[in-house]
Amino acid sequence: MTDFLQLLLGDSLTRLVFFPVLACLPLLLIRRQETVKRYTLAVALVELALVLRGVGGRLVAGAAFEPWRDLAANGSPIAWIPRFGIRYELMMDGISLPLVVLTALLLPIIVLGSWRGIDRQWRGYAASCLLLTSGILGAFLAVDLFLFYVFFELMLVPMYLMIGIWGGQRRVYAAIKFFIFTMAGSLLMLLAILWLAWSHSLVAGSWSFSYDLLSRLDFPISQQLLLFAAFGLAFAIKVPLVPLHTWLPDAHVEAPTGGSVVLAGVLLKLGTYGFLRFAMPLFPHAASAAQPLLITLALIGILYGALVAWVQSDMKKLVAYSSVAHLGFVVLGLFAFDQMAWEGALIQMVNHGLSTGALFLLVGMIYDRRHTKEFDQFGGLAKVMPWFATMLVISALASVGLPGLNGFVGEFLILAGSYRAGLALPVIAATLGVVLAAIYLLKLLARTLWGPLDRAENRELSDLSLREILTLAPLVLLMFAIGVAPERFLAPSREALTVTLAEFQERRDEPAPVALRLRDSAPLERPDEERLLLARRGGR
Amino acid sequence: MSDAYVIARGDLAALLPELVLVGGGVLLLLVDAFAPRSRRWLTPLAVTAAAGALAALTAASGAPDGLHFGGLIESSGLSLAASAVVLVAALLAIFASDGYLRRERLAGGEYHALLLWCAAGLLLMLRARELLTLFLALELLSICLYSLAGYHRRLAIATEAALKYFLMGAFVSAFVLYGIALVWGETGHTDLDGIADALAAGAGHPWLVTLGMLLLVAGFAFKMSLVPFHAWAPDAYQGAPSPFVAFLSVAPKAASAVVLIRLLGALAGSAESAKWSSLVALLAVLSMVGGNLMALVQRDIKRMLAYSGIAHMGYLLIPLAGIDQATGEPVLVYLLAYALMNAGAFAIVGMLYSSPGEQHLISDLAGWGLRRPLLAGCLTLCMLSLGGIPPTLGFLGKYLVFVHAIRHGHLWLAVIGVVASLVGVFYYLRVVYTLYMLPEVRTPGEAPPDGWGRLAAVVAAAGSLLLGIWPGALLDWLQQTARVLRS
Repeated sequence: MTDFLQLLLGDSLTRLVFFPVLACLPLLLIRRQETVKRYTLAVALVELALVLRGVGGRLVAGAAFEPWRDLAANGSPIAWIPRFGIRYELMMDGISLPLVVLTALLLPIIVLGSWRGIDRQWRGYAASCLLLTSGILGAFLAVDLFLFYVFFELMLVPMYLMIGIWGGQRRVYAAIKFFIFTMAGSLLMLLAILWLAWSHSLVAGSWSFSYDLLSRLDFPISQQLLLFAAFGLAFAIKVPLVPLHTWLPDAHVEAPTGGSVVLAGVLLKLGTYGFLRFAMPLFPHAASAAQPLLITLALIGILYGALVAWVQSDMKKLVAYSSVAHLGFVVLGLFAFDQMAWEGALIQMVNHGLSTGALFLLVGMIYDRRHTKEFDQFGGLAKVMPWFATMLVISALASVGLPGLNGFVGEFLILAGSYRAGLALPVIAATLGVVLAAIYLLKLLARTLWGPLDRAENRELSDLSLREILTLAPLVLLMFAIGVAPERFLAPSREALTVTLAEFQERRDEPAPVALRLRDSAPLERPDEERLLLARRGGR
Repeated sequence: MSDAYVIARGDLAALLPELVLVGGGVLLLLVDAFAPRSRRWLTPLAVTAAAGALAALTAASGAPDGLHFGGLIESSGLSLAASAVVLVAALLAIFASDGYLRRERLAGGEYHALLLWCAAGLLLMLRARELLTLFLALELLSICLYSLAGYHRRLAIATEAALKYFLMGAFVSAFVLYGIALVWGETGHTDLDGIADALAAGAGHPWLVTLGMLLLVAGFAFKMSLVPFHAWAPDAYQGAPSPFVAFLSVAPKAASAVVLIRLLGALAGSAESAKWSSLVALLAVLSMVGGNLMALVQRDIKRMLAYSGIAHMGYLLIPLAGIDQATGEPVLVYLLAYALMNAGAFAIVGMLYSSPGEQHLISDLAGWGLRRPLLAGCLTLCMLSLGGIPPTLGFLGKYLVFVHAIRHGHLWLAVIGVVASLVGVFYYLRVVYTLYMLPEVRTPGEAPPDGWGRLAAVVAAAGSLLLGIWPGALLDWLQQTARVLRS
């Protein structure tokens, strides 16, 4: 408790996670809606500044990002429920770094993007946004599986409220579907987590949920498959992989703009992040056994998502289904088990957050003006809304993967890396998905921006306001930045990915044990540094 | 036996919590009868009595475990912790009753007195090591409960509830008494230790002993409203005063669960113990699945909570299916969570619906999240805790239960529990979305200021949340105290 408070007051991950939720409390006292908006924006900007300062101070140019841990005053991990070896253990490394920054970046953007779209109960909306951000940051940073599970579930409630209270026509249905689907997956994951902790108690004598300690467990292949299935189901629902994706179009379409942006921008990444952080390193043999299945599902997602997006008549649905396709690329990259593909997958998680976030914002902006998202209602908007048209073109092209913009970097690395890893056929199929993406996104542009301006209502439309341009500007600038200078964004994560991959491959290439056992490596004082050293010596 | 037992001073000291409760009840009656002007002090008086009993318990917590009245009554960590749960539920019910009694113009003295005597009966039941003492405690409890269930005598539905509960309760008493008779006849003992030894030695006709124990278990399964002994609960809850249901749906179940632990603990040494475990597991599965499925289709929130309570008792049975020294911890944490969230939910329901004679339709709550923000917020927290969403105490309870199941190789029980709780999430969420996401259909009734009631709501909700976030001290204490079996 004292350790927690000390961390909260100092420069720590704890502060990053809990600042938004604690900032909810003054909302109880603020009555005026305008004040609530400004306050929330201020909180969001402070949070972003805290994240950037914390990260920036630890990011040495050209070098790896040293893992950043929250430790007690005496340098040991903080116990939360000591009876079960549950720790309050937060860690930021190169894998969680980009996702944390993305989460913090999107918070002020969704506040700004909801400025006009949300017209009632701003206090509740602001509280939901802030609580959601805390939950997501916690889930990205937790390296104790119990803590991870708590954060993973915690963010369901604010997201549920966001969809259900401020959403569209079928909001209640969509909100419940979202909640139940996610919960269904995560409850089985909870059992798997308990099993892991119990197994640890069997071989090591004490319960533990800490990733560092649990990763020393070697399970026989039969148990690995079950455990991987439980974790994988939870993450596959979150990603989502076809055929578990049906909650996503409903949730996206009904959610308010801000909700869609968070959902697409970061929430889905928890699925792919979960595979990379937990499911694959903990169960390497099962992960490689499941590789064909998951790559098949990823390809089905890429092609099916693209085809379904193509036939949509609703802009938001089109963007929603494009998420299914894009996340398919990420999963393909992850299950290639290749350094280049992993780097591509990680940067693609960020890219998708930027481009899909921008697309959802743009759809929301046009919806605020016309209260419809149907293609039929539009056409020729480029003539009356040049700023809108510019932003939409850039975001759509980034999403397609035009060289010079961010999407290209991710897709290229994923495809090249997967090809290098011997997945020639999947790569060819996925390339077809890139073509399809171009088709449906160009359709989006053609049907809204170009063609005759034949509807009277559309002639009166006002272009983007300064606030709206400011909302989109950081996203668009980052699309260019990542597209032009990708190395700057890839470098901080490289070391962490290399180490994780090296360890994964080493464990995978050993035969799986016949019975549960503890890996022979001695318990390490500072596991990360040791692992880094090992990888530097042997890996490359 | 010619030599009479002399009651030692220590025996009476050990009974202090019960004496405080009974004395408090008597005092309430006297105040009500002879000082009618002091009626507004009835609630504070009742609160003082319950809190006094809680304090007496805490004072006793330092004393070593021991037997009193020649082994009829025990003081142990298990009974102590469970008594605390019962008193928490009683306090919540007393808080919530104040506004209800004033609104419905029901006299308060007898109500609170009966409630305190119920609590006294339960505390005694929790400590009984001998079957006839257990039976006496059960009767003290039950008779007070019957009267309370029909306390709102102007309402036909309340009378119906009381009658149904009474008929079922009479069966329970008969079952338990017959069970005691059979067990005594075959083993020659009415004290649990003696029975355990006799069973371990294989005394008595196996069929008759089994039948006796089955009757006992069935009796307490009735009280816990486990499927298939559950049919009375929804009707009784629907008709009885909501603040009283906050007590009825929690405290007797908690005490019965502990009695079941004792009975199963006595059976643990017998040759048939594996079969008893399977039986408990079967009851757990039936209750979890049946309770949740039936709750799913309810439109009345009190009936829904009744069925959800049935399901919760199913989860609670999971640790009883593998009885060992560690059974107490998950059971007690789950009971405490259940006491806070379920009593809290019923207390809030009693405040939100202002006409107790009507149905309490969930759909009537539509839009009240903004009308009554505090109560709705607390109800939401209780629902999330009931649904087992982290970081609430309800989640921690489920976590501990599943841990116990996995440790005993009952993974399948945990899987069924998980799937059933997913169904549960669905109907708990329905309350949340009705509160916040649907347009208002009915304006809530006039709410007179009800400080005690708000206190109940806040204590229940805050307790569910904060104990879920900082459970360390609670768990440590329970692990040290709550030993289930004789060492």
